[in-house]
Amino acid sequence: MKWIVALLVVLLIVLHQDFWWWDDRRIVLSFLPIGLAWHAGISVAASVVWWLAVKTWWPAFLDQEADPACPPPQKAPSDKNSGGETT
Amino acid sequence: MSLAIITLYLILLILLGVFSGRILRLTGGDYFLASRGIGSFMLLMTLFGTTMTAFAMIGSTGETFERGIGVYGLMASWSGIVHSAIFFLIGARIWAFGKKYDYVTQISFFRDRYQSDALALLLFPIMVGLVLIYMLTGVIGAGRILESTTAETWSLRGRMTAVALASRPADLQIPDAWKDRLRHDTEVGQLVLDGSIAPKRKPVLLKFSASPEWKKAVEELFQKAPAGALPYWAGMVLTCVVVLFYIFCGGLRAAAWANTLQNIISVGVGLIAFLVITHAMGGPAKATELLAQSPASNRMAREGLISRTEFLTYFFIPLSVAMFPHLFQHWLTARRASSFKLTVAAFPVCILLTWLPCVLIGMWAAGVLPHGTPSNAVLGIMISRYSGEFLTGLIGAGVLAAIMSGLDAQFLCVGSLFTHDIVQRYVAHRRLGEREQVFLGRVFVVIVVLISVLIGWLNPKSVFDLGVWCFTGFAALSPLAFAAVYWKRSNWQGALACVLTAAALWLYFLRQALDTSGAEAFLLAGGVMPVTLILAASTAALVIVSLLTPPPDPALVARFFPPKNAA
Repeated sequence: MKWIVALLVVLLIVLHQDFWWWDDRRIVLSFLPIGLAWHAGISVAASVVWWLAVKTWWPAFLDQEADPACPPPQKAPSDKNSGGETT
Repeated sequence: MSLAIITLYLILLILLGVFSGRILRLTGGDYFLASRGIGSFMLLMTLFGTTMTAFAMIGSTGETFERGIGVYGLMASWSGIVHSAIFFLIGARIWAFGKKYDYVTQISFFRDRYQSDALALLLFPIMVGLVLIYMLTGVIGAGRILESTTAETWSLRGRMTAVALASRPADLQIPDAWKDRLRHDTEVGQLVLDGSIAPKRKPVLLKFSASPEWKKAVEELFQKAPAGALPYWAGMVLTCVVVLFYIFCGGLRAAAWANTLQNIISVGVGLIAFLVITHAMGGPAKATELLAQSPASNRMAREGLISRTEFLTYFFIPLSVAMFPHLFQHWLTARRASSFKLTVAAFPVCILLTWLPCVLIGMWAAGVLPHGTPSNAVLGIMISRYSGEFLTGLIGAGVLAAIMSGLDAQFLCVGSLFTHDIVQRYVAHRRLGEREQVFLGRVFVVIVVLISVLIGWLNPKSVFDLGVWCFTGFAALSPLAFAAVYWKRSNWQGALACVLTAAALWLYFLRQALDTSGAEAFLLAGGVMPVTLILAASTAALVIVSLLTPPPDPALVARFFPPKNAA
């Protein structure tokens, strides 16, 4: 899964260079130039990719490394709890 | 009315500072790091507020007005990818080091990581200088937004402005509502206005007559007549005083609360502004149609406005967040490493919510505002042109909120760098109490803020261009952050070479830009951003010098790279 996330990040970087819309003034949703719509989509996709990265690749050992009093990192199911922390 | 709403908002911020000051524990740890107790949501809000400043609101609108929709791709979508990567790869790890070894500032981390006072002393003026430029974008933006959203706050009745209009146009019809303020003096051949007038009234006056002489006289009148707005310099000073107040009262905890409040307000109000402007322009489809039919229709694409190499090499600009000292300090406030998760995932969408409305407003502005409108004024003009006084005040307060949420972190960071890395270390170690040290930090902040206001007053530049040069400097130093966290073999000699190379090349290119185009976008051959070359050189200096000099002490390496089984 980690490699898929890494590949998705690379894919985002490639898709960001959307030379195919470079001089395209077509309008989508009746007001949005297609080049701008594409990049808004890149932003949303970036959030999804980084959410996947957090779910699969998070260095859970950091909390304990910083403070040995912290409980040790647990496996995936309990990781949901640490992600749900609120203020 | 507009100024009254903005003033109310500023009073609210002052009260917030007083309130957080009352519950503050008044220790350095709470003042500078909010006792390392900031959770996921507030961390997202503070990091977002700290990075989305005048650059994002005023700079993006103005730059889109001039260079079209590609500006979103240059900064916003690149930042969505790169910022989250930095928070993921660098931010959480720096937090762990900060918690483990009790760091307060970025410079104290690098000093300890490389065991080098020379590196710390070299970094101090560079960091303060770059933060000062970043501050300048906020200070200029605040002055401009207050100036453009408070027009006709002072009626200035009795102050006459006269322009030449030899004869009264035959079709001239001045409505009754205007007759006590605007008249044509036939005897001396002048058009005379009594009091101040907002720029948005120009289309109204132009309709009074169709003659070319009338149009010329009205244009001249608007150039000469006072707008009755809060002066630019006063807007800069007022904003700085309010931010200084709540920072001095409540430190980073007040900044975190203020940023949370300000982000909610700025995103909410930004949405309102977008809807109001869109509605007043006849809907989003109509606004885009107006642009499509105007001579500025090329703003709907990138051809001729942005080169492909520039678009690609802008990738390096958002790397600057790895070295923002004010952001570094916010990283350290997190309660735990996992507090970063929400920020990493939500940051690109937060950027989208701020940038997309601004870019659309800037794009539509190109279809309705005259070519040559100052880029920093575009957002303010669009707001005051398309909304009533109440909404103008509300929107002005929202934009100001975004600007101030960046300024507070910068002010506090400059103070803590001075207090921790200069005063405590070299001037008054163990001789001054915590309160005296905080006081000295505040004096230093006031001096730096005064300098930035003075520069902003005497020599205002494009907020976007200033921001890009500032980010170039920080990005060029980013190899230092990556090496400190991931490269065991990097040493103080390499770090020093990296910083010196970045600083020398940055100054060289900035000077060239100032000589050629007044600090505006300056590109290398083929449209390559200067950051590409500076970053490559600083990385090469770090790697080559580190490898050519003795490796760091194994005990030092073990402190920062503990064996996995010992972690």
